[in-house]
Amino acid sequence: MGAFVRIMASVKTALGGGARPAAANHQETPAAPLVAPAAHSAELISSFARELEAVGGHFVGAVTADELSARTVELADRVGALTVAIGAGVSFDAGPLANSLEQGGRDVIRCRPAGDDQARRALIERIARADLGIVEADCAIASTGTIAVTATPARPSVLTLLPPAALAIVRADRLMPDAAAAIDSLGAETIAHHRVAFITGPSRTADIEKLIVVGVHGPKQLHVILLWPKDV
Amino acid sequence: MPLSRSKSAFFSASEKAIADSELRRKLANASGHHLDAAARTRGEFPRYDEEREAARRIKADAINRLDQLLLQLKQRLEANGCHVFFAADAAAARKYIVEVARRGGLKRAVKGKSMTTEEIELNPALEQAGLEVVETDLGEYIVQLRHERPSHILTPAIHLSKEDVGTLFHERFGTSYTDEPERLTAVARENLRSVFLAADLGITGVNFAIAETGTLVLVENEGNGRFSSTLPDTFVAVMGIEKVIPRLADLSHFLEVLARAGTGQKITTYTNFITRPRGAGELDGPREIHVVILDNGRSALLADPVMREALYCLRCGACLNACPVYRRIGGHAYGYAYQGPIGSIVSPSLFGGGAGYLPFASTLCGACREICPVKIDIPKLLLHLRWKANQSGLQWPRAAAGARRAVQRFGRLARHPRTIRMLSRIAAWMMRPMARDGYVRWMPPPFSAWTRTRDFPVPKSAPRRKPAAKPHGT
Repeated sequence: MGAFVRIMASVKTALGGGARPAAANHQETPAAPLVAPAAHSAELISSFARELEAVGGHFVGAVTADELSARTVELADRVGALTVAIGAGVSFDAGPLANSLEQGGRDVIRCRPAGDDQARRALIERIARADLGIVEADCAIASTGTIAVTATPARPSVLTLLPPAALAIVRADRLMPDAAAAIDSLGAETIAHHRVAFITGPSRTADIEKLIVVGVHGPKQLHVILLWPKDV
Repeated sequence: MPLSRSKSAFFSASEKAIADSELRRKLANASGHHLDAAARTRGEFPRYDEEREAARRIKADAINRLDQLLLQLKQRLEANGCHVFFAADAAAARKYIVEVARRGGLKRAVKGKSMTTEEIELNPALEQAGLEVVETDLGEYIVQLRHERPSHILTPAIHLSKEDVGTLFHERFGTSYTDEPERLTAVARENLRSVFLAADLGITGVNFAIAETGTLVLVENEGNGRFSSTLPDTFVAVMGIEKVIPRLADLSHFLEVLARAGTGQKITTYTNFITRPRGAGELDGPREIHVVILDNGRSALLADPVMREALYCLRCGACLNACPVYRRIGGHAYGYAYQGPIGSIVSPSLFGGGAGYLPFASTLCGACREICPVKIDIPKLLLHLRWKANQSGLQWPRAAAGARRAVQRFGRLARHPRTIRMLSRIAAWMMRPMARDGYVRWMPPPFSAWTRTRDFPVPKSAPRRKPAAKPHGT
């Protein structure tokens, strides 16, 4: 506590007394899209796909809810995933998806809230050995090809960290034009209660002679499926 | 490797680095890559200057009411269940973190890349307390294996070639020699994965701390920061007092400029938001979060109205890449955790002593100011620090003192143009026999001091002199 008071005192002294500028309010009004809503949404999707691929990610495609299971199974096959870890959805129930993956003879790890510390550690160890981690992202950013994932007890953040491949499913109407809009749509409430990660492509490094290598610590592959909601 | 802190250490280290042509090649390659990529991404983003202005405005506002924001940040972090410790200096920060480790009986620490923990020299303190400390950023991992310090705030192993890394891994791990970055990275991935899973303490820096929500934001590409802040039960974040920003809505302006300036990416691979410890039923995330908020000379920068701007720095590394001096001597010669132009303006306040000479290691060309994502007027701050150093009677080491005397003598001579012309004719006549292919590569002492590191172009027989403009009408 002593150091806190001392540092605050030296910061106050350094800033000097007298009139202080009021809190600046740099609120900007977002520019209205120049095109019709449908065209705007098509533009966002094409930008998202382009930027995701530019950073080494894989845009699987846009699918309807009916096609989601089939496309996910297809991707799991392509990745060669025998063990798949899946987290609870944000907007949909991931149960049916987990069932279809299991029907193909795959080992499916369904994430549930951990009981005790031993169960918690055991589950992390299992996810670490999975070939593919699947989550629904809260939203995505079109200008950078970024997905935003929030962690909950049944949707741990290790799903997009430990397995060598990750698949994120994101609703098309949760595609935001830029980082400002994505942060705004998540809101202070979400960020205060969940650990959030913005993920842009597979884990990468350029630490050796600036040559880009993917898959340093995190996933080597990042796949994204855009989910076309029924009501849009 | 100890830091070079003695008075003349910078001079001898930089001379040695200049003579290392292989180092120069690696630096030119790496900083060239960064500069090209950064120019490209900026060109594709019309809003860049607008975002830069916004980022600078927010930083200026935050620094001007730093006391209020630090108090708000502390309250929010504590309300979120984090422990907050204010450290007046490096020793206090080290002591606190060692104490956290001792109390928890922690043994294995993993670190995400953090220059602030380099600044406080945390690793030796933890190792002395019996912890195993592993750097997990690939570049930091490489320099740690070599018992070196990072030579660039963004690219710690910028001074090494892929062959250097290949040899290092071959000797340390007994794996067959390869200089392919993919295979070297795979070796590091495998080694570090088990280290991450076994670690009980994670340590990282902080890029932005949001006062409004009490959220720590950490940006990175590899996942080292995400692993270090997700898997170990205890997490320690170390940040300077200047990292606080007012609101969540301010963040995007920084995200839009930070990576574009530093590496030329549009955004880094990972942007991690950390607000509170692991909740009931949660699988991952630290059980305990400690936030160490460090002064260590920063309030002295704050107290100087000219220098205050130095606290806007985002540590993007762009000014290092743009700096002609950095590109010649590399990071190690600077001798401190922060290198290049930004290092030269913050190190004198953060470290004192020999760092007082760093503001003189600049050509004042202004490339750093041009590239800075928050438009810090680095040349102005360098001049201010030079003035302050001269006021306080800086003692010059011999070589530099000699150079200063020579420049002073030349200054006096320059007032006599006829003498200069005569002397340069004599010099040209003497040098011509020593020239090969248009350059003089060797001269006898004392002039050999010049030709050791530079070639001298052969002087023209009659020294060129700009003819005085004739007045009109004559």
